[in-house]
Amino acid sequence: MLNIQKTIENETANVALEGRLDTVTAPDLEKTLKEILPGLKSLVFDFEKLDYISSAGLRVLLSAQKAMNAQGGMQVKNVNETVMEIFEVTGFSDILTII
Amino acid sequence: MNDKIIKISGRIDSENAASAEQRILEQLAGAGDVVVSLDASDLVYISSAGLRVILRLKKAYPKLKITNVNAEIYDIFDMTGFTEMMTVEKAYRVVSVEGCDVIGEGFNGKVYRIDKDNVVKTYKNADALAEIQHEREVAKLALILGVPTAISYDVVRVGDSYGSVFELLNARSFAKILAKEPDKFEWCVTEYVKMLKKIHSITVPEGRLPKIKDKTLKKISRMKDTLPDGLGDKLYGMVQAIPDTDHMVHGDFHTKNIVLAGDEVLVIDMDTLSTGHPIFDLYLMYNAYVGFYEFDHDAVLSFQGFDYDTSVRFWKACLSAYLGTKDEKKISETEDKIHCLSYAYMIDRDRRYNGVSANEDSHVGIFTAKLIDVLGRIDSLDFELSEIPKEAEKELETDAITDNLDVVTDFVNAHLDAAGCSLKTRSQIDLAVEEIFINIANYAYAPNTGKAVVRVDLKKDPDAVAITFSDRGIPYDPLKKPDPDVALAAEEREIGGLGIFLTKKVMDEVAYEYKNGQNILTMTKKL
Repeated sequence: MLNIQKTIENETANVALEGRLDTVTAPDLEKTLKEILPGLKSLVFDFEKLDYISSAGLRVLLSAQKAMNAQGGMQVKNVNETVMEIFEVTGFSDILTII
Repeated sequence: MNDKIIKISGRIDSENAASAEQRILEQLAGAGDVVVSLDASDLVYISSAGLRVILRLKKAYPKLKITNVNAEIYDIFDMTGFTEMMTVEKAYRVVSVEGCDVIGEGFNGKVYRIDKDNVVKTYKNADALAEIQHEREVAKLALILGVPTAISYDVVRVGDSYGSVFELLNARSFAKILAKEPDKFEWCVTEYVKMLKKIHSITVPEGRLPKIKDKTLKKISRMKDTLPDGLGDKLYGMVQAIPDTDHMVHGDFHTKNIVLAGDEVLVIDMDTLSTGHPIFDLYLMYNAYVGFYEFDHDAVLSFQGFDYDTSVRFWKACLSAYLGTKDEKKISETEDKIHCLSYAYMIDRDRRYNGVSANEDSHVGIFTAKLIDVLGRIDSLDFELSEIPKEAEKELETDAITDNLDVVTDFVNAHLDAAGCSLKTRSQIDLAVEEIFINIANYAYAPNTGKAVVRVDLKKDPDAVAITFSDRGIPYDPLKKPDPDVALAAEEREIGGLGIFLTKKVMDEVAYEYKNGQNILTMTKKL
């Protein structure tokens, strides 16, 4: 289960995720991002309630990062320990801007 | 009402249909209300003119049936709808088992190998068709419920009786393996016990199989009055008190009924399949390895092919493996309970078949003394079922599709939670499980789909878990894939290739092998 809350204001989008970002739910996030990315200057993910991430989730984040590198910036905040560890072993902690 | 059997032979076509009809009617003259049975064993051809003769006969004798129809003529009856109008019985192929290798032996008959791919199971009973039908149904049920077994595809004539034919490639019974390859002893014990536990872990829908307890109670009630001091009633009461369960028991689980066919272990004798407590299987096994042969050591050699020492050793090793303990005290406590039922069985058997009186020197006398001794020591025949690992529940077979990820994760987590695994570790294991399962779902059978089996083994001292995935898809070793370069910047990073890498990172060990047509990936982690 993944719950996606998004708010968009002045070309800045806040996307808060709750639950699990896995093979089953990653396509939902991908779809949401596809809708909001065009014209976006800043994308901020709030992972406070994200419990779990797998490679399928990482792939969506990587695509988003690549897209936002070209049109502005992307940040990830409130990353918990479990998810942070995954970011670290995969080198995502260097790719993503984690605040 | 008797059958009136009339032979029809040769060709029946427009040329001779009328005379054939004439001949049949002559034989039926004055027969009255009978079941007319046309024996078609020598019939080689029948045309529409011949079929019309049969139709007219059917009108006059509504209970008409046609027997011993060969395959080609059966097709004609089938295509023309005759098989729906009347009973048409196929001719049984005749098979000779003379000089054939005996590969298995059950209570009711022998199993012979008739050629490279096929075996035939023969029955002692001359009119075995009902038995064959019964066993076929039981075998089907067992197969559906998860017991690896062979199902007969044909019924044939063997001598005066019938046999059922199975396809069984390169099958050798465990009895033969134990006799010919002593170094496989341990392997036999492991596989044999694994199969027994598998059977015992299966629950059977209500009413599909007989209750094995009823059979044993019948035996006890026949012999209980030979025991002194109300011990007979005590024994009967203890058997009655054995908890009823809906778990499967085999009822004749000995080494001639378990075969290795190729790489697969199969159970081939199904007619005694029942439900009940495992103690019933255990005491029947004890009979098969020790009880029957206590006073005739050579008999086990001629039946199983291995000697009495091997037989006793095999029994002891299997019981220890089944109970999952080497603790002598625990084993002998359970053995007392097993002996109890076995001695009662022997007393009943000897009294019925040999009519032996219970003097001290007779077998009945010796078994009676032993039974009295053991009955003084125990008050219950039940033993903790929880001591028996539920083998089947360690495994989950599922369609390898993305939608089943939750099913697999829930299955693994149930085991991890039971082991008191921390949330963090569980989350890491979930990750590995997802990556591997999704890999199988995406690639193993592409573009088709297939099954994946997930197995969870929990280990003690130190606490650890081993999770095994197997599939029958294209051979693929995911561990060969080079690790992604995690130091690259986003622009250079490729999308993908992270799953296996993550799996290796979060688990302590990941190993791959391709064996018996299966991709097998095992990963372990300390808990």
